Amino acid sequence: MSLDRSEMRSATIILAACNMHFLTNSYTRNLVDAGNGKFNLMILCWGEGHGSSIHDHTNSHCFMKLLQGQLKETLFEWPDGNCRGDMVQRSQRVLQENKVAYINDSLGLHRVENVSHTECAVSLHLYSPPFQSCQTFDQRTGHRNTVKMTFWSKFGERTSFVSGYFKIKAKECH
Amino acid sequence: MEIHEGAVAVGDSVLDFSRLSLNTFNADSVSDERKRDTRQLYLNYNRLASLPSALGVFCNLELLDISNNGLASICEDLTRLTKLKTLVAKNNRLDEFSLPKEFGSLPLEVLNLSGNRFEEIPLQCTKLQRLQSLSLGGNRLKSIPAEIENLTSLELLYLGGNLISAIPPEVANLPYLSYLVLCDNRIQSVPPELTRLHSMRSLSLHNNLLTYLPREILCLVHLQELSLRGNPLVVRFVKEMTYDPPSLLELAGRTIKSRNIPYFPRDLPSNLLRYLDLASKCPNPKCAGVYFDSCVRQIKFVDFCGKYRLPLMHYLCSPECTSPCSSNPQSDAESEDENSVPVDRLQRVLLG
Repeated sequence: MSLDRSEMRSATIILAACNMHFLTNSYTRNLVDAGNGKFNLMILCWGEGHGSSIHDHTNSHCFMKLLQGQLKETLFEWPDGNCRGDMVQRSQRVLQENKVAYINDSLGLHRVENVSHTECAVSLHLYSPPFQSCQTFDQRTGHRNTVKMTFWSKFGERTSFVSGYFKIKAKECH
Repeated sequence: MEIHEGAVAVGDSVLDFSRLSLNTFNADSVSDERKRDTRQLYLNYNRLASLPSALGVFCNLELLDISNNGLASICEDLTRLTKLKTLVAKNNRLDEFSLPKEFGSLPLEVLNLSGNRFEEIPLQCTKLQRLQSLSLGGNRLKSIPAEIENLTSLELLYLGGNLISAIPPEVANLPYLSYLVLCDNRIQSVPPELTRLHSMRSLSLHNNLLTYLPREILCLVHLQELSLRGNPLVVRFVKEMTYDPPSLLELAGRTIKSRNIPYFPRDLPSNLLRYLDLASKCPNPKCAGVYFDSCVRQIKFVDFCGKYRLPLMHYLCSPECTSPCSSNPQSDAESEDENSVPVDRLQRVLLG
């Protein structure tokens, strides 16, 4: 996937800002471009040990590229309606820096994790059409929950106040 | 101003010698004046096998990054850096014998030793009175020493990716601990003393060996994030507990509290007063559903990307509450099983 110059510039700005914004237990979503309503382009910053829930992609196409570090992707089958047992894991892989991945609902569900305890990870995501909510799944039962998705920053501007963690972790960075 | 070829001078106070494939760090090309002015020194991503004693001449250094080298020890001269606030030494070959003896005297606020070979947290580390952030992720730690409680300024403790099997209750004595990461370890239980950590904002426990969580975890009223995936958490909690009849003390206490029978300090010995006070802080049979609701809502289970109640919780609802269980998303799938659990067993789990 290639980005035009303005997108690259936005991505660089967000990337620099992102390096300071690693929360302890949750990755941050940083919107770069809203694509005139046709797509969302965002940068996700994953601190050490951060991972996502198992989630779907609300009938949209999802592309992901590793800009820094590595992310583990675990694919799951859609659970059946009974919520009786563990969800079925289909495959697992570690995406290296610069690698690209794609998923949509017909391919299944996934969990994405930064399993490193020493390095952060940064990924670029393209969702088309854009979506504001998705379903998350309990791996033990397949029970699902609809959740609204939020952005930590939009177009380089923070949307929420700074956590104390960011102030502490910022001291480690350039 | 002479700068080593390849080094980047980023402003006057930062020296960047990172990613230069250096086998040794030769600071001879840096003027004495420059050395005195340097506040941040980056030596990460090189091939240093040891740190030169010349490092001690950077007397005003506040940040030193020596990550991703081949360091097996840190020289005693480091302790001459009396203004050092941040030390990042990730991905080296350091173990608990690698740190200088007087390491504890440094005014460090941030220490990152992740990705090394520590099997114990060295005692020198527990003497760092000003330490706010300690990262020892990805080492070989088997335990957390009780001396951890001496780090009275600690706000962040990252111990993910080790071999830790238990959390010492002394962790609860850290008055400012807000972020505790214990994921990817071998922890089987969480000590109830952790309830004293009123400042706790984020707790990471994913990928451990937890089968249940203590009820006390709900007392962490400021907790905003909790990760629990990859633990063998029991789903049918109540059914798997053996049935122990409640003690006479407990029955008497419940009766007094649930019927609001008046009592006065002069009537009872202090231990019974304390016991009765404890009961009032526990989920009360009359409003247990409400109490648990308010605690659970404040916790975001980040694995599940949003607010999600532990399956555990709906078994702790009071049988006298009219609708807490039906408001639980989990109960849609398991309501049949839940109704078959005896009422008195539910109540016993409630008050321990």
